[in-house]
Amino acid sequence: MEEEKTPDDGFFTREIIRNGLKWLLIISAVISLLGFLLYGIPALQEIPLSGKTITTNYNELKSDVNYKQQINLLKRDIRSLSRRYNNYTSGQSYMVINTTDNLFYLYRNKRLVRQGHCSTGSFKMLKTEEGRSWIFKTPKGKFRIHGKTVNPYWRRPDWSFVEEGLPIPPEDHYSRWEYGVLGKYALSLGDGYLIHGTLYKRFLGMPVTHGCVRLNDDDLEAVFNTLNIGSKVYIF
Amino acid sequence: METEIVYVSSDRTAKILAWTVVGILFLVYYTLMSVYAPLKKMELLKHEYGYRQGGNNPLDERIFTDSAYLNLLHEKSFLQSRAAMAATDSVYLSINLSDSTINLEISGVTVHKAQIGRISISNILGGGNNYIVLSMLSDPLIINKNFSSIRKEPLMIKMAPRDTSEYVPDIIPDTADYEPVNFIMEMENGIRLHIYQEDRLKLGDGLCRSLFDIYHRFRYTAKTFLRVITFRLPDYQPYIKLRIPRSDAKIIYRALPDKGQIAVYS
Repeated sequence: MEEEKTPDDGFFTREIIRNGLKWLLIISAVISLLGFLLYGIPALQEIPLSGKTITTNYNELKSDVNYKQQINLLKRDIRSLSRRYNNYTSGQSYMVINTTDNLFYLYRNKRLVRQGHCSTGSFKMLKTEEGRSWIFKTPKGKFRIHGKTVNPYWRRPDWSFVEEGLPIPPEDHYSRWEYGVLGKYALSLGDGYLIHGTLYKRFLGMPVTHGCVRLNDDDLEAVFNTLNIGSKVYIF
Repeated sequence: METEIVYVSSDRTAKILAWTVVGILFLVYYTLMSVYAPLKKMELLKHEYGYRQGGNNPLDERIFTDSAYLNLLHEKSFLQSRAAMAATDSVYLSINLSDSTINLEISGVTVHKAQIGRISISNILGGGNNYIVLSMLSDPLIINKNFSSIRKEPLMIKMAPRDTSEYVPDIIPDTADYEPVNFIMEMENGIRLHIYQEDRLKLGDGLCRSLFDIYHRFRYTAKTFLRVITFRLPDYQPYIKLRIPRSDAKIIYRALPDKGQIAVYS
């Protein structure tokens, strides 16, 4: 038996194709427009500025008094700026601490003498229900060694009790003093921040401290013996 | 009685044609305004940093194209900018496009050095030997806004336990955490510094970079669009786009303060 064809069959196919083409056209137009706005316009903006300054080398200009004066002035400024800039870099021993990767570098006479892992601030914010809060991060910038201590003790601050759910004792209470937790040496950076040793050596290279810089025993000894009071510590 | 509007084919075509013409005219207007913006910016820079002749001893203008003079000016501009930043105790960035290095410095000491893989720069800055641009770059660029795929300070909030029974020791941080690093720093003078991750360490790094770039292109285009439809000239923002290794990008982004300073040797 032959299948009967209705005249509508062709009409629907044509409609589908026509609608498909219409949408394809609309989508292409939108993509082209976006492409033009996002990429074309910024590229076109560069065209008016594309002419580079053509440098010249006129001999007669070089003999001009004003020219010579300007060149000498520039040379003098560069010399003075270079001197000023080089003065910032001291020949003394200094330490560089990378808080992102938890690495330290020790320099003597501008030469790297030791490098290794350290631990820096954990970026934890400790909050209490009463609204007190502490952020445990190592400060960045230029610091100086304020003091050096052998066999340091740790005076536990308030957050150390809060963190463990303990009641905060009075300022001079015996429970605030702990010996042996900071290693053999401590170097103060001011504002309560120290470079010290640690019992948790497996955490070296990780951001786990409350803001201080922790080193292993050998590195700490080298740093203690290399840096003096006033030596610079650069933390970034 | 309800009236029915019946469009005949020619009406519809005329309408489409009219809208197309309006659209094209708007695009032309938009393009002209956008293309004029950098010229206006250059004019403003000329007004701010251009050399003003003194009355007694006028300078021969040819000096501003003299190669020896411009080379010295280049050096002075970069040094001056770095010296100004070194006077602070803060971390700053110095970018040397001529030798493709990017350094983090504190008080004149280079604390971290990275190699730039790819550089793309606006013509206004890339001209390099331009007296006006060199004068502008003799002051440190100050960061105004940061846009990044990573957080500047990955702060984690921890509520203090009420007593010892609630106390849980800290867990060891997951150092294997991975996020692609792409960021844009907008300077106070309008310059944009894009720093994108160069290496493709994980599947999707390239896609993340492209999406980050497209998202910010949308943002700038929306800003331009808003200005153009309110009949104002768009702000032209010269750019410096750099690609550096992910680890360096992360260090640089985290080390620079929110309002950090940058020196550029173009």
